[in-house]
Amino acid sequence: MTPADGQSDDMLLQRYAEGDSAAAQVLVSRLAPRVFRLAKRLLQDATEAEDVTQEAMLRLWQIAPNWEAGGAQPSTWLHRVAVNLATDRLRRRRGVGLDTIEEPDDPAPSAVETMMATDRQRALDDALALLPDRQRVAVVLRHIEGLTNPEIAATLGVGVEAVESLTARGKRKLADLLAGRREELGFDR
Amino acid sequence: MNQDPKNDKPAETLADAELDALFAVARDEIAEPLPVAFHARLMADAEAMAAQHVANANPPGVFARLAAMLAEFGGIPGLASVSAAGVAGVWIGFSGPGVTGDLVAQFWQGAATVSPTVSTWVDDRLLTRSDDTLLALMAGEGE
Repeated sequence: MTPADGQSDDMLLQRYAEGDSAAAQVLVSRLAPRVFRLAKRLLQDATEAEDVTQEAMLRLWQIAPNWEAGGAQPSTWLHRVAVNLATDRLRRRRGVGLDTIEEPDDPAPSAVETMMATDRQRALDDALALLPDRQRVAVVLRHIEGLTNPEIAATLGVGVEAVESLTARGKRKLADLLAGRREELGFDR
Repeated sequence: MNQDPKNDKPAETLADAELDALFAVARDEIAEPLPVAFHARLMADAEAMAAQHVANANPPGVFARLAAMLAEFGGIPGLASVSAAGVAGVWIGFSGPGVTGDLVAQFWQGAATVSPTVSTWVDDRLLTRSDDTLLALMAGEGE
């Protein structure tokens, strides 16, 4: 454990801006894994998730000298940046706006049946991967990242009502996809 | 538990509470450490950016800027050449015209024999006539 380990992200960022590479080491270990996991959940692609994480961290290093301690947490700021970068990639990947994507039919039951994960986390991630992009982004941001509906609406460039609808449909599909694994997930019948 | 009211069998979906429990697990789960190579890439970015920040925070002093400017002209050897040229200029300025002066005189020698000379003009009184004479010459009535 280094002296930097017990410090706040704000303090570490300030130390980084002053040239302390040990502070950067701690920040990378503390923040980047969660950003990477979020990006991977949204994009469902490890390589693209790495790119998004790298870009988000780079922006954090750039802004470090001007960071105002006591305001937004670096982790929160970083997640917002990562969400924006990831949703931009989703738009480019489809070549159209996220709000104009035609949603596919529900995935075949066999896709769920073949999921081999045994723990709840893996099961949830597997099911999230089967959701249409817009629904997955809305559910992840609302129920895992804790963003408000207006914040998600701003991120996706849609109205708040559309976000509510996306979240509701996404949750319903997740529930259907995971129903067959209730016992495995530890839920009583 | 989520029951289908018609046939008293478990419904083929999860209840909201069950789904929320899964979300809670996702929120609380500690993310896995990054692969070593990826972590190293992120650190390389951090260190490169830190070097820029340090450079921006400590702009070079007067001597460092002079050294940088000197480097534009070839560094110390360049400065020696410029100095040598300056010293040569000073020396030329203080020394007499010497051979160079003779060359100039030779070059302008022809100019000294141009005819008519100024004294000839004066002797012929071409430059000492009255204004009327000059005006007559201009009007084409002169010699």
